[in-house]
Amino acid sequence: MNQASESGDDRRREFESEALPHLDALYGLALRLTGGDEPRSEDLVQDSVLKAWRSWDRFEIGTNCRAWLMTILRNTFINQYRRDSSRPSRVDFDEISEGPGAGTLYDADPEGRIFDRLVNAHVIRAIQELPDEFRVPIVLADVEGLGYQEVADTLGIPIGTVKSRLFRGRKRLQTRLHRFAEEMGYLP
Amino acid sequence: MNDETRGAAGTREAAPEELSCEESLALVYEYLDGELPPDWNDAVRRHVEKCRLCYPYFDFERMFLDYVHEAGEGTERASPELERRIRDLISGETGD
Repeated sequence: MNQASESGDDRRREFESEALPHLDALYGLALRLTGGDEPRSEDLVQDSVLKAWRSWDRFEIGTNCRAWLMTILRNTFINQYRRDSSRPSRVDFDEISEGPGAGTLYDADPEGRIFDRLVNAHVIRAIQELPDEFRVPIVLADVEGLGYQEVADTLGIPIGTVKSRLFRGRKRLQTRLHRFAEEMGYLP
Repeated sequence: MNDETRGAAGTREAAPEELSCEESLALVYEYLDGELPPDWNDAVRRHVEKCRLCYPYFDFERMFLDYVHEAGEGTERASPELERRIRDLISGETGD
């Protein structure tokens, strides 16, 4: 008995020392995916860490614990997201601009000086303000570094849709960053 | 691969020797994301390296993507309450 509970404690301590250092990263990913919804992000982190704890036996010590936890959180979010995503799309396509051309960020700042001047909080806000349709693929591909096929599989959408959402989402981000830069007086 | 999976310039066919600016620009993200087949990747690179119009634009988009990747990681901290709650829940599931 005593021995069994001791090994349970060891297991718990092992999990805590491997997994809990990644709470901040998990929380950041949750905020990005939920669009900055703090209570929902906390729930998401909590659910994901508990799931990880319940399958701790299947985790191989020495492999990438952070990546494993991030995948669990991503999948937990996507399951909720798919369940909820029967809601109608909020996308409107009027603000889309393509490539170099009048009025784009590239046109205003071809050398990308604003990327040095804007603080990280700006891009985080810009990401979190995107509609779900664009935000989720951008977080998966651009922040988390997943490939197109992985994003398509994770979201259950065709790869062509991933491409077009990344394209449109990135252009929206640039438009938003452009506006921030104007507000801060970095660009005329 | 069906039509929906094709890139703007028809990435499933063999890449032509020369690409126009328009064709290259349509592939900017697939190129920078490393998602093009090798022959198309090389064709875009050949065009961009010698094109005074495309080169700075591709450079700009690369800076943008790097910026989003780095800044998007964020610096938020999980609250001590959240950590405490998680530790309690884990303890509650230990040893029974």
